[in-house]
Amino acid sequence: MLDTGHMLLTLASDAPAGAAPWWVMLIPALPMVGVVLCTLFAIMGVKSKLPAFATVGCLGLACVLAFAMLLGSDDAPGVVKAWQWFDISWGEGHGQTFSAIFGFYIDRLTILWMLFVTGLATLIGLYASEYMSHDQGQGYCRFFMAFNLFVFSMSCLVMGANMLMLYLGWEGVGLCSYLLIGYFYKKPSAVAAGKKAFIVNRIGDLGLALGVYLTFVHFGTIEYAELFASDQLQGYLTDAAHGHFEHIPAAAQMIPLLLMVGAFGKSAQLPLYVWLPDAMEGPTPVSALIHAATMVTAGVYLVARAYPLFQVSEYALPAVAWIGALTAFLAATIGMAQFDIKRIMAYSTVSQLGYMFAGLGVMTSIGAAAHVFTHAFFKALLFLCCGAVMHGFAGQLDLRKLSGVAKMKGWGIVGITMLIGCLNLVGFPVITSGYWSKDMILAEAFVRPSTGLVGWLLLITAGLTAYYTFRVFFRVFVGPVEYHPGEELHAHDDHAAGHGHSHDHGHAGYDHSHSPEPAHDSAHDEAHGHFHPHAPGWAINTVLVILAALTFVAIPLVALNHGGWVGEMVHGSTAHYEAAHAGGGSHGSVWLVGLDPHQVMYYISAVVGLAGIAVAWALHYRGRREAAHAPAAEAFKRVAGPLQRWAEHKWYVDELYDFLFRNPLWVLSQVFRYIDMLLVDGLVNTAGWLPSALGGRLRRGQHGLLQGYAGSMAGGLALFVVVVLLLVSRSA
Amino acid sequence: MNSVLIPAAMLIPVIFALAVAIMPAEKARGTALLGMLLGAVPVLGLLFLFDYQNAAAFQFAGSVDWIPEFGLRLSLGIDSVALLLIALTALLGPICVLGSWTAIVERQRLFYSWLLILQTAMLGVFAARDLVVFYICFEFTLLPMFILIGVFGSTNRKIASIKFFLYTFTGSLIALAGLVYVAWYAAGHYGHWTLDIGDLASAARTMSPTQQGWVLAGMLAGFAVKVPLFPLHTWLPLAHTEAPTAGSVILAGVLLKLGTYGIYRFVLGFVPMAVAEHAPMLAVLSIIGIVYAGLICWVQTDVKKLIAYSSVSHLGFCVLGLVAVNATGLSGSILYMLNHGLSTGALFLMIGFMYERYHTRDMGQLGGLASKMPVWSSFMVFFVLASVGLPGLNGFVSEFLCLIGAFQSSSSLVAAGHPGATPGALGPWYAFFAGTGMVVAAMYLLIMVGRVVWGKLVEPHEHHHDDDGSHLPPDLTAREVTALIPLALGCLVFGLWPQPLLGAIEAPVNVAIRSFEFEAPQPTPHPEHAQADAHVGEVAP
Amino acid sequence: MLELAQSAFPQPMAGVTLAHYLVLSGAMFTLGLVGFITRRNLIIMFLCTELMFQAAGLALIAFSRYHLNLDGQTFVIFVLTVAAAEAAMALALVVLLFRRRESLSSEEWADLKG
Repeated sequence: MLDTGHMLLTLASDAPAGAAPWWVMLIPALPMVGVVLCTLFAIMGVKSKLPAFATVGCLGLACVLAFAMLLGSDDAPGVVKAWQWFDISWGEGHGQTFSAIFGFYIDRLTILWMLFVTGLATLIGLYASEYMSHDQGQGYCRFFMAFNLFVFSMSCLVMGANMLMLYLGWEGVGLCSYLLIGYFYKKPSAVAAGKKAFIVNRIGDLGLALGVYLTFVHFGTIEYAELFASDQLQGYLTDAAHGHFEHIPAAAQMIPLLLMVGAFGKSAQLPLYVWLPDAMEGPTPVSALIHAATMVTAGVYLVARAYPLFQVSEYALPAVAWIGALTAFLAATIGMAQFDIKRIMAYSTVSQLGYMFAGLGVMTSIGAAAHVFTHAFFKALLFLCCGAVMHGFAGQLDLRKLSGVAKMKGWGIVGITMLIGCLNLVGFPVITSGYWSKDMILAEAFVRPSTGLVGWLLLITAGLTAYYTFRVFFRVFVGPVEYHPGEELHAHDDHAAGHGHSHDHGHAGYDHSHSPEPAHDSAHDEAHGHFHPHAPGWAINTVLVILAALTFVAIPLVALNHGGWVGEMVHGSTAHYEAAHAGGGSHGSVWLVGLDPHQVMYYISAVVGLAGIAVAWALHYRGRREAAHAPAAEAFKRVAGPLQRWAEHKWYVDELYDFLFRNPLWVLSQVFRYIDMLLVDGLVNTAGWLPSALGGRLRRGQHGLLQGYAGSMAGGLALFVVVVLLLVSRSA
Repeated sequence: MNSVLIPAAMLIPVIFALAVAIMPAEKARGTALLGMLLGAVPVLGLLFLFDYQNAAAFQFAGSVDWIPEFGLRLSLGIDSVALLLIALTALLGPICVLGSWTAIVERQRLFYSWLLILQTAMLGVFAARDLVVFYICFEFTLLPMFILIGVFGSTNRKIASIKFFLYTFTGSLIALAGLVYVAWYAAGHYGHWTLDIGDLASAARTMSPTQQGWVLAGMLAGFAVKVPLFPLHTWLPLAHTEAPTAGSVILAGVLLKLGTYGIYRFVLGFVPMAVAEHAPMLAVLSIIGIVYAGLICWVQTDVKKLIAYSSVSHLGFCVLGLVAVNATGLSGSILYMLNHGLSTGALFLMIGFMYERYHTRDMGQLGGLASKMPVWSSFMVFFVLASVGLPGLNGFVSEFLCLIGAFQSSSSLVAAGHPGATPGALGPWYAFFAGTGMVVAAMYLLIMVGRVVWGKLVEPHEHHHDDDGSHLPPDLTAREVTALIPLALGCLVFGLWPQPLLGAIEAPVNVAIRSFEFEAPQPTPHPEHAQADAHVGEVAP
Repeated sequence: MLELAQSAFPQPMAGVTLAHYLVLSGAMFTLGLVGFITRRNLIIMFLCTELMFQAAGLALIAFSRYHLNLDGQTFVIFVLTVAAAEAAMALALVVLLFRRRESLSSEEWADLKG
């Protein structure tokens, strides 16, 4: 067994931070320009595709700048300051300060993230220009405004020079996610999903905020440049490298545990993953960009960025590994039993994010980053393919109602790119980038002694992933040709025929659901009768092809020479971690069933993946004659018994949370409300009532008769005189 | 020369109040707007001429002897904290007039006169350097507000106005007892009467801890009701629900700040030892307020009541920052006073605009207004997000600073050698429990937005735009947008660039925390413990 | 000094002492008070108050003479002046009240009862 004490941790970024060029500030600034432009368009009532083109222009420029940043990068991180955001000082000679700049910290991790964020945002913006065209003049400007705002927030999150900037971006992307999930705001489920996403994320954000506070209190700074170069942290890292965790203060060890909560919220990990599947209510480009490729990797970014902080805690990284692996497994089991293809993709995102966290947890930050990188492309591709199907079949997403899509006219590109995406997700040997990045994580998981079971869990998950991915592919894209359109065509159909692709998704559904007039219903049936799916247009196809190509381009970037180019990028950043074994023994010191995991994992994972595909083929393709029924799968379902039903109901986690948290809190709120009304306010009212009750008694004395008053006056006077006389006689 | 600016800012509204009172009713609102705007001119002068290098000093000072035998002087002067609050007051004045433009149709002269007089009284509270001037203005704010609620409010206005008046008035009387005690003590201390707030503060700090404790209790009775701090908050939801829009805006925007300002100026300034001793209790009350009021918000159906309870919850953060007694907490708290004024003031304005169109605030009868009022909805979502504390908007800055202030403020963390910690009696747990308020705030505000803004359009059954007589278009008019834009800009600019404000208040904040640098009763071993230790020492071989 | 002061006052009537004046004043006051309490007619009640006023005035003058001090007399002049003005006001009020209720009974007016 390997002792952690025998590892040497080095930190590449302890070089002092230099100055980054001023123009990197344009990267967040350009999307902000896009926000302003789209707002102006909204005010002017622009009805064309102008907002989309402005967006693509701004984001494209930002992407170009991100490439320029890559070319101009050197080893040392750079900081550029826009303005002073916070600066509060106190103490002797104002020696103590709480300060944060509004500025950016550029190292290679930043560049890596910004490259795929801006690149994918540009591509998906282009896709959305067509996808959202039915909303031109209505929500079109709003959509692209939030889209730009998202890229701005994401840039702040990734490029921020301190934890507060990260927090700004963190909640900013949460806001955009909220706005975009709830884009079809007339649909109650979309509104509820947006709300859920924001609130669940807020729970994570609380952890993140507390982590930031503790970082400040413990290290006295939240600027990355100062924090990672501080002697204090370097000292801890040395202690940690030698296994002397008892020398590190508990406060420092608490920091990663708090940051982790934030990361789990944003990246949809246990126990805070429940918002992501619901987030699929948003328009598909949003699901692809925000809820698959970029925003949800923010948690991974946070852990990678704060990797040195995570290393000073004995329990933080193992906890990350376990949570990641459990999430990966749980989400995969749920994904296996769902019928909505977009939801399946959502659960696969949760599951793949679990892989990334497990990768970080087992100390292969390179593997994790590589998986983030490849996943960004292939998952965006998968979502956009699903979006194309949804677009073409009037919002139909149920895999029991679609079959053989790839064989239909005009759907070839979608079919092929979908296959490429699926193979990547499964990790098909050698020819897919997903294979290389996933293997790095899997292999390393078996190397870590303390987290051996994590490796097995991840390996099983890889098999499940292969199954549910190809379940979708075999059900929807191949097999007998059959389709039932979704609920969103109707009145739009005629209009849409001219454009080929101008209606879509949840939007139209609500319009009709609440006006069930008989006449309308017959129109509805009629529409079903002559429904023709709309094959995707040029913009969608182009974007799909580019993304599919990118998944191949990514292979050499992650595969060659221990993580390849991505490895190099991580190497020059705070996420860099290098384990050198004191004994000189290489990774060969740990064995998986008698073999070196790094060597053998390439074969094992390939076999597991292929086995998963084979099972999917056997259950969902072989012998299937219609869309709705796959005899083999149903036979299997009977064997699986209640497990299948539980998985289909997502293991009742939502219900459990409602039961454990939401409902008690709601009851408590009602109790508080009545306490406030009856007890707290009741006491006040009693205090007000007492004098008036007393007055009610006394008022009888005030009978309003002049003589009575005069009499009591005289009596009072007499009494007074008597008392005075008595006193005088007493004293005399 | 400069010393006329404050009296000018205070007198212009009064003069215009008289003008409004004798003017034809149809000209009242225009005159009132002019008065508010002219009244803001000297405040602009204050903002520009203020010497920010010397922000802790009381500038533009001027005083006139009133009853010298008792040290009574009419003396005015402001430091940067007061300056910012005065600026907030001057900003909200014209906005309130614009917000009431069509809402108040009867007895306009009465309404606008009292609104202007209220403006003077509020400015007086912040500008006072003399205890009696402060107290007179502090109490005088009650009267205009009593009339605004009692005459122009909705159905339960009478009860609401009486409760508002009596509750806060009773509290203030107890506070007066505390203040008078301090004055009496100071007279003994100096050998002559003085009512200058600065002199009183230096004298009060020499009181014994017991005396300070009593004075703290007295003053809190007044200021905590005003804030309002749990459990003294029940007048607020009622008053807000019944008040006319302008009344709610002023109530949330400025009047509540009189309480926190009072705590800042008098409680922290006069009795630091007692504050240090009772900080945990005050912090616990604030936190209970934050969570308790937040949860109550969740089950409200009246939008305005919801926002009113959210004020209770938000002001909890403000008090928490104050009792953290460190630079971050105090700065956050002072910014909170401004930011809450902007965002919650704006929310009340938004609800007023909605109410004018639909004559209901019941979330059961309203919904999905985004499809009918896109401009209104955009502003509503924006201000809700500011109120939720979204980074980049102003609410975040102050909330974050208050929480980090509470987190840092722990003497035991200082003792453990954490460089970012400051002496104090709170700590991480306080920040954690208060932080759950952030989650709760997101919950109730987004649920409210989800019902009112998003979703299917729901309008009240009896609602017919043609015959409601208000002649308002479905969405916001240019006048209403004009009223909102300064607030929205404030929310955005001070969220992204709070440093000018933080820089301005740095000096007074540092002066304030310096008064806490006394020989704090160190957590020395308790006598019994020491004894026990000694026993152990004896028993051990 | 004393002579000088006394010279401002006329000589007292022989055999009439301060006590006589006070008894008279007390009797007048009592009559007024009893009248005020027992009668219901507003005019009579008003006259009774006047009686009490004059009783007080008498006592003041008596004391003034007794103490050889002009303050008491000054006050009485004030009281008389005020009483005159008050009589005008009060009688006007009584007329108004009578017009409202067509009655002079004080029991007609109990609007301020609690």
